[in-house]
Amino acid sequence: MQVDNATLSIILPALVAGCIVLLTHIPLGREVIRRGIIFIDLAVAQIAGLGVIIAYQFGWHIHGVEAQVAAISSALVAATVMRAIEKKAGEHLEAYIGVIFILAASASILLLANNPHGSEHLKELLVGQILWVDWIQVAIAAVISISVFACWYGYRDRIGGIGFYVLFAVSITVSVQLVGVYLVFSSLIVPALATYRLREGQAVLFAAIIGFSGYLVGLLLSAVFDLPSGAVIVWCLVVSAIIISMLIPSSLKSDTGIH
Amino acid sequence: MVHIHSDIKRGLCLLLLSLSVLTPGTSQADDTLSVFACEPEWAALAKQLGGDRVDVYSATTAKQDPHHVQARPSLIAKARRADLLVCSGAELEIGWLPLLLRKAGNSKIVSQGGQFFAADYVDKLEVPQELDRRHGDVHAAGNPHVHTSPVNILIIAEQLSERLAAIDSENAAHYRSAFSSFDARWGEAMKRWQARLSVLNGTRVITHHRYWSYLNEWLGIELVATLEPVPGVSPSSSYLAGLIKTVEREDPAFIMYVDYVSDRPAEWLSERTGLQAIPLPASVDFQGGGTLIQWFDALADGLEAAVSKERNNAGG
Repeated sequence: MQVDNATLSIILPALVAGCIVLLTHIPLGREVIRRGIIFIDLAVAQIAGLGVIIAYQFGWHIHGVEAQVAAISSALVAATVMRAIEKKAGEHLEAYIGVIFILAASASILLLANNPHGSEHLKELLVGQILWVDWIQVAIAAVISISVFACWYGYRDRIGGIGFYVLFAVSITVSVQLVGVYLVFSSLIVPALATYRLREGQAVLFAAIIGFSGYLVGLLLSAVFDLPSGAVIVWCLVVSAIIISMLIPSSLKSDTGIH
Repeated sequence: MVHIHSDIKRGLCLLLLSLSVLTPGTSQADDTLSVFACEPEWAALAKQLGGDRVDVYSATTAKQDPHHVQARPSLIAKARRADLLVCSGAELEIGWLPLLLRKAGNSKIVSQGGQFFAADYVDKLEVPQELDRRHGDVHAAGNPHVHTSPVNILIIAEQLSERLAAIDSENAAHYRSAFSSFDARWGEAMKRWQARLSVLNGTRVITHHRYWSYLNEWLGIELVATLEPVPGVSPSSSYLAGLIKTVEREDPAFIMYVDYVSDRPAEWLSERTGLQAIPLPASVDFQGGGTLIQWFDALADGLEAAVSKERNNAGG
């Protein structure tokens, strides 16, 4: 299809949504890699979905605000539990997170055994589709993400581990619904992984370039070749990470990575 | 390193160039009516009735489950330009159509006149007597797969030609005459299918999903069980055990399933009971130039083959 004004007006809200996701995911992704908890976003998203299903099982007519409350509160519970495990588990934290993820995923299947309607709710939460976003959703997500971003840069020395987990839970719950779990995972991990050997300021700059060009080229290619946007963006993020990290002068890279 | 950098730059330039080359202008004559169909059967019907007066786009193919659709830019672009939306309705597209309409912001297809829901014009089967929320996905509107009955197709075709005539009154005569010639050909074809498939009257079958309910009602086929306990839910082990007992008790002739779903549940039951599992095309291959008549011919072929094989098995 033609890349004209009409196309741009279709992909613009998606591009802005992508930038909002990147705003929190670039700094949080760096922290996730530092702590070695790569799959925590999948676990948190799955538990947020589980919270919605449980609320549904209690017979609440969940839509909109109530579903969000259920999702965020269960993600916060998950964050607290993970922080507690982090203190005890030591080097096996990632394995514990994996177990939590698979328990949450299986629990949703069990709870939904007779309820395909609930599985649609779960899907809405986990498989948000970036092209469907509208400006209202973008605005709400922007307010939450900017707050998370400000808290992280303003107070991260004071809020400690639990603070990180809480901010993380909130921003994952919001962004998964906006762009889906594949894009959340790649926005979190790919730019951070490509820039982890840089000092923080430079890392954030290059990560932002990787993230933005990944989303932009991905959305354009998905318009030109008429392919599902989320999946194309995932590939473009990785390609953009490879190209940009080749362009980064090696003098900027430290051997030890994130301190 | 410098070489690599310039290669990359050249690559990026090529990429951008190819983007601009690969975007052919889609100039359309302004007087053609733009139809956005949710499923290929309605796209084929609109094309049949509109001919060159309409430009038809189908959001899904016959190999796709119309319950779930991935968001692609072209979907939104087509919905923005559409003059008429033609869908099954009865909540079939509830997972994506409301989102798409909101995104498209096209007042034409949000108004009553610009929306045509096929299921609104026929008597629906399996309308629940009472709504129990614990059964979740029960569609209050009844079974949405109305296109599987040729009788329904004819009723819907007449309504759709009237709708096209109302929206595009200059060409009203064209749409009406296209309907009468479709009516004649479809009537002939229905006689042919009925003659070929009358042997199926009274046959008992198992289906995967309640997809063929309207076809089965037309042919007098009786449904003994479905592989899904409830629409959209995978069977549990006790349900499958019960299904094997049902097969022993009711002695169905074969298992019908739509060819876009996994063949594993149907093959599983087939292996354990010796019943044939018959994959059937879900809809018209509109994107491949197929027509409604060709699709029903293919359905008739599939069902006829199933019957003759079953006879041979029973005889031998």
